[in-house]
Amino acid sequence: MSFLEAVFSHNLILFALLGSFLASIVSGTVGSYVVVKRISFLAGSISHSVLGGIGVALWLQKRHDVEWMTPLIGALIAAIISAILIGFIRVKFREREDSVIGALWTVGMALGVLFISATPGFNVELTNFLIGNLLWVTPEDLWILVSLNVLALLLIIPLHKKLLALCFDEEQAKLQGVAVQPLYLLLLVLIAISVVLLTQVVGVLLVLTMLTIPAAIGNLFTRRLSIMMALAMLLSCFFSFSGMWIAYDFDLPPGATIALITGLAYGILLILKKPLLKLTQVTSQS
Amino acid sequence: MSAAVVADNLCFSYDGNPILKNVSVEIPAGDYWAIIGPNGGGKTTFLRLLLGFLQPDSGTLSVFGQTPQKAQQRIGYVPQIFHFDRAFPICVQEIVLQGRLNRLSWFGRYSDEDKQKAAEALELVGLSHLAHRPFSDLSGGQAQRVIIARALAQGPELLLLDEPTASVDTKAEEQIWELIRKLKGKMTILLVSHDLKRVVNEVEKVLCLQKTARVLERDELCGHFALGVWHP
Repeated sequence: MSFLEAVFSHNLILFALLGSFLASIVSGTVGSYVVVKRISFLAGSISHSVLGGIGVALWLQKRHDVEWMTPLIGALIAAIISAILIGFIRVKFREREDSVIGALWTVGMALGVLFISATPGFNVELTNFLIGNLLWVTPEDLWILVSLNVLALLLIIPLHKKLLALCFDEEQAKLQGVAVQPLYLLLLVLIAISVVLLTQVVGVLLVLTMLTIPAAIGNLFTRRLSIMMALAMLLSCFFSFSGMWIAYDFDLPPGATIALITGLAYGILLILKKPLLKLTQVTSQS
Repeated sequence: MSAAVVADNLCFSYDGNPILKNVSVEIPAGDYWAIIGPNGGGKTTFLRLLLGFLQPDSGTLSVFGQTPQKAQQRIGYVPQIFHFDRAFPICVQEIVLQGRLNRLSWFGRYSDEDKQKAAEALELVGLSHLAHRPFSDLSGGQAQRVIIARALAQGPELLLLDEPTASVDTKAEEQIWELIRKLKGKMTILLVSHDLKRVVNEVEKVLCLQKTARVLERDELCGHFALGVWHP
């Protein structure tokens, strides 16, 4: 059976694809803010500390029968807690910001590993959360992913110009009466939401790839943030789709395949950028 | 004439090191002043106090009779151009419109009036033809003028410029001085500069900051610098 036939005959694969497309919408937009504000490191910290939430959730669910505490909910709670912590660190420990954020990164992961190991029989799941397993997306998860998307877009659309100002020149935004600290915190929470969406697709270890690389590729070919966002969304969908296709045909782990294709594409485009731009200029002139 | 800026016994220290000590000065509205002084003399600190980004340890500072925080939206601020990420994906018009950010509607749209004001500001700095160009395409001088246009779009009563000619070539420098000359009298202008010779020919008065403040008239200043020595 070919990949396309499988998509329409197996709900599992269809859900996986839908999940990855949903993740692409928000990660394309939020990832663009991350790239232009140069805070990939912050996003990395949020994405890795999510493992802590997943670990605690699994432990509560399997060991203590807290049914509603799914790994997705755990991830969401952990992501938002670390976003708020990072916002707090920025205000209180500005001089040591990078070290403290680095610590948050590893402490979150360590917590995750500890709690998962205290949940017997679930060590296989650790790998799945680390490198992603889209085939686990349930219809309930899809609904949560849809709501997170809607929520993020409802926040981003009216605030885009203020977020743009925040990323470009924070002091000017402040002079213009923008509440800079809360807005920055909101940006961190949006990053947290994207991280959770992407964790489903590529897993904790590879989230950073999907959050930043499609936006970084977009940045190579446009100098308008709004166009960069649109490009990042499309590219992210394309990488997820082609990655899953290849993973299906060659029986590879989908998350890693998607991340690898994304990374490779970035490398190739970085090298080919100049010749490609020249080519487009020639064709638009003729 | 009312005062644009009044500092009274203003003191500020950073980690126990005094940066400004007992600074008292009154700058009348509509004046064009330069702030000069050695590095670490407190020029930037004074600007940041005026912008309300820092709080004085003691003494008072008021802008148009208000606290700096309250007066923030009456102040146009032009930071140095190296402060910006020149690779940032943004076009000239988008930058200038950020001078109207406080008027943005709740759903995040600029009004026609905002767009009009931004276009006028861009016209004033002579860069209307670059409105849709990406920021990264501009020369240093053009970029600096775009940032000045952003401050003007706001309709400021006090314009603060931090070394606006510091990182541009001679021709661009000339254009920037000429632009500021056009603004003279329309608003209070305070300009931080290292270019003492130039400043003497442009401004009305000079505020020398070296921990303490001293105000010099133009002719006094000429006498001072004729000696070729900096001595407050």
